Amino acid sequence: MKTRIDSVDDVTQSFARQGYICDQRTALAVYLAAQLHKPVLVEGPPGVGKTELAKAAAGFLEAPLIRLQCYEGLDESRALYEWKYGKQLLYTQLLRDKLSGVLADTESLEQSMHRLGDLGDAFYSETFLEPRPLLRALRADEPVVLLIDEIDKADQEFEAFLLELLSDFQISIPEMGTVRARHQPLVFLTSNDQRELSDALKRRCLHLYIPYPEAALERRILAERVPELDARLREQLVDFIQHLREQDMKKLPAVSESLDWARALVLLHADSLEPELVEQTLTLVLKNEQDAELARDLLPHWFRRHGGAS
Amino acid sequence: MAARRLHEFVRALRGAGVRISPVEAEEAFRAAALIGYHPREQFRETLALTLVKSEAERPDFDHCFDTFFQFEESDGEAGSEPPPAPAPDGESGESLEPTAASLLSQDGTQLEQTLAQAAAGIDFTAMQVITQQGLYARRLLMSMGMGAVDDEILRLDASPRHADRHRAEQLRDWRGGVRERALAHVQRQFELHGRAHGRALREHTLRAAPFRDLREFQQVQELVRRLARRLARSHQRRQKKARRGALDARRTLASSLRYNAVPVELHWRERRRLKAKVLVVCDVSSSVRDAARFLLQFLYAMTDVLPRVRSFAFAARFDEVTEDFDRYSPDVAVGRILDRVSGSGTDYGTMFQELEACCRGEIDRQTTVIILGDARNNDLPAGERHLADIARRARQVFWLNPEPPSRWNSGDAIMARYLPYCRDARRCASLNDLSRFTDALLRQLD
Repeated sequence: MKTRIDSVDDVTQSFARQGYICDQRTALAVYLAAQLHKPVLVEGPPGVGKTELAKAAAGFLEAPLIRLQCYEGLDESRALYEWKYGKQLLYTQLLRDKLSGVLADTESLEQSMHRLGDLGDAFYSETFLEPRPLLRALRADEPVVLLIDEIDKADQEFEAFLLELLSDFQISIPEMGTVRARHQPLVFLTSNDQRELSDALKRRCLHLYIPYPEAALERRILAERVPELDARLREQLVDFIQHLREQDMKKLPAVSESLDWARALVLLHADSLEPELVEQTLTLVLKNEQDAELARDLLPHWFRRHGGAS
Repeated sequence: MAARRLHEFVRALRGAGVRISPVEAEEAFRAAALIGYHPREQFRETLALTLVKSEAERPDFDHCFDTFFQFEESDGEAGSEPPPAPAPDGESGESLEPTAASLLSQDGTQLEQTLAQAAAGIDFTAMQVITQQGLYARRLLMSMGMGAVDDEILRLDASPRHADRHRAEQLRDWRGGVRERALAHVQRQFELHGRAHGRALREHTLRAAPFRDLREFQQVQELVRRLARRLARSHQRRQKKARRGALDARRTLASSLRYNAVPVELHWRERRRLKAKVLVVCDVSSSVRDAARFLLQFLYAMTDVLPRVRSFAFAARFDEVTEDFDRYSPDVAVGRILDRVSGSGTDYGTMFQELEACCRGEIDRQTTVIILGDARNNDLPAGERHLADIARRARQVFWLNPEPPSRWNSGDAIMARYLPYCRDARRCASLNDLSRFTDALLRQLD
């Protein structure tokens, strides 16, 4: 892992090299997180590149990315560790003869118990431990980037369980004691604001809000990610998307939708936005039928206003 | 010095309603030390990243930041010019006190710096009421060393020479300019710090004030939203924790196989979370309108925990208003609703009949019906049998009445006729009442 981060610009440039174009605020957040060893809670509407940010950060730091996808009902055994029950059972069966051998020369029940007690630890050791993403991140041989995706989908209990990890980079396992991080991971948590996160969690994190990008930033992103797209078409596309975002819609188009649309337009060899073309490809941008209808109503007006320019 | 400024900033933010823990403040200081104070935008973002924990608080933060760090920037501002040099006649210039001399020789920018330095020595965070501003301005001027200038003016005034008295006049003008600057600075500080005390006090008063007096206040919207969110959050937690249900035999058996068929781990069937439905019917005749508006606003601010609310309004007519509150701000929504249903002669009997007719299929054991009104029926038929019918099908009926219980049956009010069908009826005349009721409601629905 890269150990020295010189400046915020360092982050921005590295991100740009990887094709992740971001604003100053985002780069600053990554820089501060790495310097202060604080997790970053990334919020924002879906599709603005919250998950991508963690990937880009991993690329920048030259560190592996460990990802934990949250969902309702996610618990410790999925997130942290689990014992390999099957293997434990198998071993006890296979070692049955061996065990009776060990216990053969004991005289009383107590003595056997005592001897078994010594062995007991063997069954709750590394061999039978199945590490899940969180434990993997803590015990990794090199610093890693840990992405806890969509934390708002997990239950409140799980959020509380994460607190120890986020503030001290350690976690308690009943059978093994406290596991401390060998190297402090850089943690990103993302949230779509499905429910309000607890204050305790927020307090432990830097808070980064990624909004829909402004026109200039979006143009840069498109230029970077879909370079085949004609520059004039790109202007039009961004104008149109920005116009859509001003409407009252169920699901506003995000960056990921602009990118999809741009790629589609490239495939269709389009060189300017035409009403017909937009009509046909609109479903790429607006996933909700009502929204699409609203947009269709807006189309003539928009083309009239921008018709002169194209 | 820098750390103290930041501390003051944190206090100002808290005053503006942003919650900041000591740990977060500490974190912000570390971050600021790392990034530095320039460029300004970067400094702003650094503080925002560490101190602001939700996007909703961002405007408050920006406002606070702009006000707080304005002082440092205002150097180029045209202000008081240094007073013209005294007439070089050699006689009046005798033994000018050094502090006064140095103050008098400063230009606008330097003076601003002196002011800033003096201000740094004063704790403005203790300022509580608006009338203290004069006192603090005076204190600020004194610690700048303006006392020496005052003495100089007095001395010149007493002088028999005309030139000296003219000079005193000039100095007075100049002093006026400086005082204005100091006062402006103190005002900004009051905006930041003093307001916080006032806010807490005002919030307390607003919560107990009757609805009809609340209309005037801008901040009420914000307060309602905050109360509702706070309530929603506390209930969200309980909802999750209370989950525990019947034994899930299949899963328990399956997992017991790991332990040689000994059921070591018990699995519970998650209790199906009851999808609570809420039907709100609000009387929007002039006497109850204000209460209706706040009730609806409150319920809609809690979509997190109350996902299914349908609302109806009636006065002369009866109509569904769910959409209005979903789509528009409370002010606009209330206006639209009134346009549609307002008129004179509320008729509860007909209202219950229409409600029953339009929601017959909708009202079931998961439905809570809330009625807000004063039960003043204009001597029309009460129609309580429709309410009885609704109450039988619904899980419960609540009645909120903006009037005190002593008046529930006075005049044309007929609460007594409806009461038997309500699980509970209470007075609801202030935000406090409202938030207590909603709390009780959510407790029931969990």
